[in-house]
Amino acid sequence: MLSTKFTPATKLSKAEIDRKWWEIGDFFRRNSLWLLMYCTGCCAIELPPAMTSAYDMERLGMGPMATPRQADILLVSGYLSLKTLRRLIYTYEQMSEPRYVVALGSCPINGGIYHDSHAVINQLDQYIPVDVYVAGCMPNTEAVMNGFVDLMDQIKHKTANGWKKYHANFEWYKENQRNSLGEVDVHDEFHE
Amino acid sequence: MTNSMNNLELVKKVVTEAVPVLKIEEVDKQQLAFEIDKRDVHHVLTVLKTSGWKQLSYMSAVDWIDENKFELVYLVFNWEVPVYVQVRAKIDRVNPEMDSILPIFPGVKYYEREAHEFFGIAFPGNPDYHKQLILEEWDDIPPLRKDFDPEAYSDRKFPKREYPADFSVVDPKNKSIEKRKERKARANALRTGGKEQ
Amino acid sequence: MIINVLVGIGIAFFAFVLQTSVAGLNRKIVGRLQKRIGPRWYQEFIDIFKLLSKRSVSHGWIFDFGVIMALGGIIGTAMFMPITSNIVAFQDYDNFFIFVYLLAVGMLGMAMSASGSGNPWASIGVMRALTTMLAYEVPFLIVVLTIINLSGTSSMTGIQIFQQTAGNNWFILALPLGGIVGFIALMGMLGKKPFETYIAPAEIASGPMVEYGGKQLGMLFILHEISVWIEVTLFVHLFLGGATNIFEFLIKYFAVYTLANLISNVNGRFKIDQVVTFFYKWPLLMAVTQAVIAIYFGWVI
Repeated sequence: MLSTKFTPATKLSKAEIDRKWWEIGDFFRRNSLWLLMYCTGCCAIELPPAMTSAYDMERLGMGPMATPRQADILLVSGYLSLKTLRRLIYTYEQMSEPRYVVALGSCPINGGIYHDSHAVINQLDQYIPVDVYVAGCMPNTEAVMNGFVDLMDQIKHKTANGWKKYHANFEWYKENQRNSLGEVDVHDEFHE
Repeated sequence: MTNSMNNLELVKKVVTEAVPVLKIEEVDKQQLAFEIDKRDVHHVLTVLKTSGWKQLSYMSAVDWIDENKFELVYLVFNWEVPVYVQVRAKIDRVNPEMDSILPIFPGVKYYEREAHEFFGIAFPGNPDYHKQLILEEWDDIPPLRKDFDPEAYSDRKFPKREYPADFSVVDPKNKSIEKRKERKARANALRTGGKEQ
Repeated sequence: MIINVLVGIGIAFFAFVLQTSVAGLNRKIVGRLQKRIGPRWYQEFIDIFKLLSKRSVSHGWIFDFGVIMALGGIIGTAMFMPITSNIVAFQDYDNFFIFVYLLAVGMLGMAMSASGSGNPWASIGVMRALTTMLAYEVPFLIVVLTIINLSGTSSMTGIQIFQQTAGNNWFILALPLGGIVGFIALMGMLGKKPFETYIAPAEIASGPMVEYGGKQLGMLFILHEISVWIEVTLFVHLFLGGATNIFEFLIKYFAVYTLANLISNVNGRFKIDQVVTFFYKWPLLMAVTQAVIAIYFGWVI
């Protein structure tokens, strides 16, 4: 209720004030999404046209970033082998919250053409939460841009909650990671 | 040595003078394959290296499961004479073992580790051959053996996605518009969290 | 005294707002240059507020404290900087050497904090930043000392008034070689493209900033904007005759920053040794020649 000269101002509760601040933060977050490109798959070839003058990602306030600490979106482009999944989990856990995950192509959805491979995982959202999937093998650039706009919509409507899900179901995600990877941390001659 | 035929003849002469050759195959104009006994591999590689084939391009294995044999392939290259030479040797499939050629070509270190990882071949003489290289925390038989079933492994190890709704259009004339509407509504609900746009 | 401090804080705030807007406009200009639409002009503000709204991790108290120390040092430096020849917070304390000393506090804080993160890329980035500083400071200081010698004062306001009273005799016209050296050194200070070695996102993963995320990175961005403002304003005051009113200042500031940015966008990146040899070759030679011509022969236009 609007407070005027004649009605006393309604006192907002702590939760409501927090929600208002969060909504203001959401405005900034959805208009300045910085990408960390995890380009190991073939869908990475769709990103140059999305960044350069053909589709111009920067007009939405998006841009590539150098390290996981600085980035908001973890962009998984294409298939993930066991070895890269391990590094992906490292990377995801390094990012500062709120963090979002966008997965390109059909390989992170159901394995795609690698569904029967011994080295490639089938379903990314068993290991880390995924906010937006862009289907296609490979998706064209319009679809990729549409995926980013979808993520902005989700942030606006407060449904991009992947990072909260990761906190709430941490044990479940770790269990899945251990089942497929054996151990998440690697110990060999290159890591000591 | 300008003619490619002369080059092939030269390679044949070099190899056949050194060791008994079981079979010679001309792969193409620039590639020759010699099948030899596994005990002669070190000798023939030394001879090839001293006569100019000093670059080891690749080393790998092939699984001939019908013969119950592994075939090791060493591929060497010469920068003066444009001929690749394949040296092939068959070894037993049970407890496969092959002496390392590390003293001849030090670069073979990682190829041998890879071959051990993917085929389970032991390379005594290479101090690191048993260490993990590409596959991390592998817990099954080596994956490039022909009796390994990647699909079964994938089914066992990686969760598969189940599709509760069937989006395939069976009768394209009548159903497609409704299906499309349904899809759009679903996508919209996912995007906005069930609220109105 | 309190009024002075308030004016100083106002100048630092003005610096932040001005440089952030100009940087946003420049992103738009570069976008148009590359046949893109480019971001909104207030995109830099959104970026900074977004970073401040994120959660962040700490790598120990040196990491956190260094950022705050650097930001405080830079805000303190900006407080002494005159905007025009009339608007200055602390009269008679706007000496050139104050900026040389106080800028070091910011750089030192950043170096301390980045090394505190323990990341090897950060150490490499800090080392490269200090090496670049060593390279551009020498020719730049020779030119500035020439200017101080000619104008007889090292106060920024004094240098501005000296240029304005002599019939707008700007030092970039009076000392053309020195002006070129000053601009090249400015490119080095701003970390623009040929001398971008210590940021190098594709090579050392943005150097000193590698471990920062969230609030610390937001503070670092504010620090960066204010320090860019200080450096560009130094150039405007030293070489372009300063400004008599604020509109003149805005026009000169925008022109200098945009020119530096445009040059940056058509260049590749030097290696660190190339940066050092470049600065010690041509700019140093030009600076010394200019000093000899101006001081011993007195050939000043």
